[in-house]
Amino acid sequence: MNTADDALLADLKRVLGDRVRADSAERALLRRDASVFDGGSAGPTCLCESTEEVQRVVRIALAHGRSVVPRGAGTGLAGGAIPLGAPVIISLSRMNRILEVDTNSRIAWVEPGVVNLDLTKHLTPLGYHFAPDPSSQQVCTIGGNVGNNSGGPHCLAYGVTNAHILAIEVVLADGEIVTLGGLDAEPSGYDLRGVFIGGEGMLGITTKVAVRITPNPPAVSTLLLSFDTPRDAAATVSAVIAAGIVPAAMEVMDQGITIAVENYVNVGYPRDAGAVLLAEVDGLPDGVAIDAQRISDIGREHGATAVRQAASDEERMLLWKGRKTAFGAVAQIAPNYYLHDTVVPRSKLADTLEEVYRIADEHDLAVVNVFHAGDGNLHPLLLFNGQEPGIYDRVHAAGAKIVEASLAAGGVLSGEHGIGVEKQPYMHQMFSEDDLDHQERLRHAFDPACRSNPGKVIPVGHSCADIQSLRNVPEEVWG
Amino acid sequence: MDLGIDPDQLGTCVQCGLCLSSCPTYRVTGDETFSPRGRIALMRQVQLHDAPLTTEVTEAFDTCIQCLGCEPACPSVVPYGHFIESTRNALTEHRGSRRRAIALWPLTKPRLLRLGSSLLAIAQRLRLIPARLGLPERLPLRRLPHRSSGTDVYLFTGCVMDAWQRDVHFATQRVLEAAGFGVTPTGDAAGCCGALHTHAGLAAHGERLTENIDATLDPSIPVIVNSAGCGAHLKQHSSLQIFDAQEFLAEHLDRLPNITPLEVNVAVQDPCHLRHVQRAHLPTRTLLRKFVSVVTELDDDGLCCGAGGAYSVLQPDMSKEVRERKLASINRAQPDVVASANPGCSMHLSATGVITEHPMVLVDRALAANSSTT
Repeated sequence: MNTADDALLADLKRVLGDRVRADSAERALLRRDASVFDGGSAGPTCLCESTEEVQRVVRIALAHGRSVVPRGAGTGLAGGAIPLGAPVIISLSRMNRILEVDTNSRIAWVEPGVVNLDLTKHLTPLGYHFAPDPSSQQVCTIGGNVGNNSGGPHCLAYGVTNAHILAIEVVLADGEIVTLGGLDAEPSGYDLRGVFIGGEGMLGITTKVAVRITPNPPAVSTLLLSFDTPRDAAATVSAVIAAGIVPAAMEVMDQGITIAVENYVNVGYPRDAGAVLLAEVDGLPDGVAIDAQRISDIGREHGATAVRQAASDEERMLLWKGRKTAFGAVAQIAPNYYLHDTVVPRSKLADTLEEVYRIADEHDLAVVNVFHAGDGNLHPLLLFNGQEPGIYDRVHAAGAKIVEASLAAGGVLSGEHGIGVEKQPYMHQMFSEDDLDHQERLRHAFDPACRSNPGKVIPVGHSCADIQSLRNVPEEVWG
Repeated sequence: MDLGIDPDQLGTCVQCGLCLSSCPTYRVTGDETFSPRGRIALMRQVQLHDAPLTTEVTEAFDTCIQCLGCEPACPSVVPYGHFIESTRNALTEHRGSRRRAIALWPLTKPRLLRLGSSLLAIAQRLRLIPARLGLPERLPLRRLPHRSSGTDVYLFTGCVMDAWQRDVHFATQRVLEAAGFGVTPTGDAAGCCGALHTHAGLAAHGERLTENIDATLDPSIPVIVNSAGCGAHLKQHSSLQIFDAQEFLAEHLDRLPNITPLEVNVAVQDPCHLRHVQRAHLPTRTLLRKFVSVVTELDDDGLCCGAGGAYSVLQPDMSKEVRERKLASINRAQPDVVASANPGCSMHLSATGVITEHPMVLVDRALAANSSTT
């Protein structure tokens, strides 16, 4: 810490007292989020408890010429919350109150630090839930969901976070407090709420959110279909959608991950199947029964070797437990994993998957696949031992090839993890210079000085001049 | 500084953060220094990169309650319990272990412990003990002696629990006898299990005490433990056949009589060392459902109550903040009584006025009520 930091710290402490931390321990452990990227040492961490505190911290940082990075639970997988250039970290985890639940209007006002699953648990006795359900839902926060426009298995029918946010209170980079969107059915003017969602903290800091709450379905049916190959499973998924059915969720796991999951949770996933499809339909009981039967029939037409329907809620929960702990199960195969996230058109799922296996093979890496098949969202898990010298270069190279293959198939860079710093180098492959210029101008409209989470998403050369110095960290980035 | 953790194991944490919500100290602070992920990152800094042991770093390690709620939540199966135990040992050695060793010495001297405890009980009745010390509301002045009824099972009596809550041992013994088991209380010969020593970073002391138990008891006889903390420690460190009391009885439910359940709404508070370490919290429900009319689940997913052995004394502020969350959950459930199978948890909760009972006491009461009416 130098004297400039001392002055900054003194100002911050006047607002937050001992809720500012700037010791070496805190600064070191906030270098990272859940991704493999290291952002360098963080600046002071401010554990804010109100919108006003966030506003004052933003203004103090600005006065000291420092940028700010918002942080929820730090579960992002694209490095969106890593601290480039020792910024002031605005931690929102203490802003975790559920302020108001209105079941008549199906709206809840929450603070950004509310944990996704805590909100659903709070709503359960009322017969409601918050629909977006990322695999990290037990820890990730609503603010983070807004920042990344997060998805989850059940977003196939219900839509991703964007479809469940009505209004957002935001502290802009200059400290101004604005509310984007509104509770009216058709808010007037441009949909700035929609612009902000998925902004990865670069358009301002979320301090309050009005979320849509969803009634729990009266009936749910969960099917587990076994196939000889991932291709058959992918074909079934496309055929189901083509038949006009939109299941609540359709998740595919390949044999590698299915065996690992079964070893871990032991709920009767078939070890001998080349792939399994977990499909869930919900709604009114009669419709659910019909759709379940149709999915089962379509599956058999496409080579399903077995179809199992969960007989009880308990069995259903166990099957989902298997799917949701899939990332845990890979620990048996290798100590480290790199979870990728791209999207391809459903019709290209099977081809892209084969390409993913080939790429992994070529780079001498183990790979298993678990994916939100219904919306073409691939999640290849590259498995490795981080201690092996040079391994991160290989993982990085394979990751780049997977992105390339997905784009070639007509896909996009990210389904739900965001761009952060992970996909930043690939933005040129997806967008033209013109596209990137427009994205940059949009960003400038919210944050002209590039003080809010700088150095992310928009590639170097298109980003604000004053943050070029932030990018002198790449040698550490893969550490 | 070497914390004695296997570097390969230390590498298994991939910093996904899925542990955060299961960590009571992160839940109340929102500060990642007080989370499992944060603590592991600091262990790495200290052990692999020789980072200095600043006040903040030691505070992060000292404030861990060792509830191990993070272990079942961890998708990479990181052995956090070993990490923190090893770290605590290294810290205790670094700072000098004498004070802690002296503080825990009475646990190994049962007669002295009981004498001291009786003196405390007298002082308590003379209102000389401030309530903030968090002692049980009325320590017993006298204790009836233990008696043996056979050698089918041992009932592990331990140290503090035998001095302060011997009634729970009697209740457990009566229930075991109602199921047809002859019971031998282990008494002073076996003594303290060493759990609190290991918890406090005195692993070698803890091991010696466990070895003494192993040498004293007959390995062919199952040992029934009704303190979740002791049971967890013994299951990990002893070579004997260790069973938690509810776990054992739930397996022999058919040997207990079918009776009219007690009319009472019981909320189950899972001691962390029963739920996260022994992973044997479900039998408490199986057993209670047979003997009480309503078993209510708390809505906090088994988050720690903040007791943590000696934690409530060593880290009183954090301990109370964590307890507030548990109390809020209990308030939402509105039970008549909270069942807790660990003496530390029940004392910590009852210090705030919550009515707590050991599950075995409730079962014993149901059996007694039945025998008095038939």
